Amino acid sequence: MDITAALGFLWDYRLALSVGLGNTLHFTALGLVFGLTIGFVVSVVRQAGHPVLKVIVTTYVEIFRGTPVLIQLFWFFFCLPAILGVELGNVFSTVLTLSLYMGAISSESFRAALKAIGAEQRDACVALGLPARVSVPYVILPQTVLRAVPTLLSNCVTLFKESALVSAVGMADLMYQGQMIADATARPIEILTATALIYFVIAFSVTRIVSFYERGYLARMRL
Amino acid sequence: MGRYTWDFSVIAANWDPLMAGLAVTLQLTAICAVIGLVGGFLVCQMVMSRIAPLRWVAIGFIEVFRCTPALVQIIWIFYCVPFFFGVFYDPFYMAILALGMNITAFNAEAYRAAIQAIPSSHYDACTALGLSPLKKTLFVILPQAVLMAIPVLLTNTIGLLQQTSLVAIVAIADLMYEGKTLATQTYRPIEIYTTVAFIYFALSVPLSQVVGLCERRLRSRLA
Repeated sequence: MDITAALGFLWDYRLALSVGLGNTLHFTALGLVFGLTIGFVVSVVRQAGHPVLKVIVTTYVEIFRGTPVLIQLFWFFFCLPAILGVELGNVFSTVLTLSLYMGAISSESFRAALKAIGAEQRDACVALGLPARVSVPYVILPQTVLRAVPTLLSNCVTLFKESALVSAVGMADLMYQGQMIADATARPIEILTATALIYFVIAFSVTRIVSFYERGYLARMRL
Repeated sequence: MGRYTWDFSVIAANWDPLMAGLAVTLQLTAICAVIGLVGGFLVCQMVMSRIAPLRWVAIGFIEVFRCTPALVQIIWIFYCVPFFFGVFYDPFYMAILALGMNITAFNAEAYRAAIQAIPSSHYDACTALGLSPLKKTLFVILPQAVLMAIPVLLTNTIGLLQQTSLVAIVAIADLMYEGKTLATQTYRPIEIYTTVAFIYFALSVPLSQVVGLCERRLRSRLA
C-alpha cells in the first residue's frame, strides 16, 4: 500500500473526521459531567442513606453495570420515547444513556474511595458537631476525589471508548463518520486505521496521565 | 404521558430465535473467556520477560487493545484482516479473534497486578530451593496469581459477556442481533429490548455476586 496516497486520501476527509471527533468529545464531556455528579451522589446515598433509597440506587447501579451499553442505547432511543409518548431528541437520548452508564460505573469508584476513608475521620466530624452538609463537602468529598482520581480517569477512558457505540444508533461521532467514509469510498483500511489511531492517541494519553499521577502524586501523599 | 399497551405475547411467539441468539452469545463468551484466561497469562509473562523485544510486543498489544473501543477493534478486524492476510474466515471466528484478543489484553493486566502483589520473599525462596524458572512459574507464581486475580478476571468476563453484544453490528446472530431483528419485524421494540436487557442482566448478576463473594473470601484469607 502506498503511504503517501493513503495520507493524501485521509487529508481529503480531515473535515468529516474532525466533525466526528468533535461530536465524540462533546458526548463524552457531557456524559462525564452528568455521570460523575450522579456517581458521587449515588455513592454517598449507598454509604449513608435511607434504606429505601439505598435499594433504589443499588438496583440502578446493578442494572447499568449488568447490561450492555448497546442495549441501553437502544432502549433509551426506541423504548423510552414510546413509553413516555414524547419525542426526546437524539442528542438527549445519547447523553442520557452515557451519563447514566457513567454514573453507575463511577459510583463504584467513589464507593471504593469512600470506604478507604478511616472511620476516625467520621468520628471526628461527629465529635466536632459537623452536620452532613458541612462534613460531606469539606471533609469527605476532597479526600474521596483525591483517592478516586485514578479509577475515575480510567472510567473516563471507558466512557470515551464506549461512546463509539452511539454510531450504532446513527449519531455522527468519530466511529460513524469513519464507517460512512469507508463505505462511501470503499477504502476501509486507511480510514478505519486512522479512526482507531485517533481513539488510541487520546485514550493512551489519558492512561499515561493516570499512571503518572498514581506514581508521583499518590505515592508522595501516601494515600 | 402517552398510553402504551404492553404485549409480552410477542416474546413467547419469538422465543426460539431469542434462545438461538442467546446460545451464540454464550458460546462466544465461553470461548473468548477461555482464550482470555490462558492468553492473558501468557501475554503477562511476556510483559514481565527479560527479553526486551518480547516485552515491547506484549506491551504494545495490551495498550492497543485497551486504548481503542472494542467496536473499532471488531470492525477493523472484519474489514482489514482479510485484506492484509488474504484470508477470509467465517464471521463467527473473526468475532472470536477480536473479542478474544480484547479480553486477553485486559486479563494480562489483571494477572500482572496479581503477580506484582506476590511478595519478593517467594521468589527468593524459589531461588534458594533451586527451582527451575518453569517450575517456579507453574507451581509458585501461577496458582497465587490466579487466586489473587480471580475477582478482576471475573469482572472482565462479565464485561466480555456485555461486549459480545457488539458483534450484532457486524451481523452475527447473537442475542442482541436477534433482538434487533425481531424489534424491526414485530414493531414491538419495547417488549423485545426490555426482555433482551433482562436476559443480559440475569446472566451478569449471579456472576457479579460470585465476584463479591470471592473478594470477601480473599480479603479474609489474606487478612
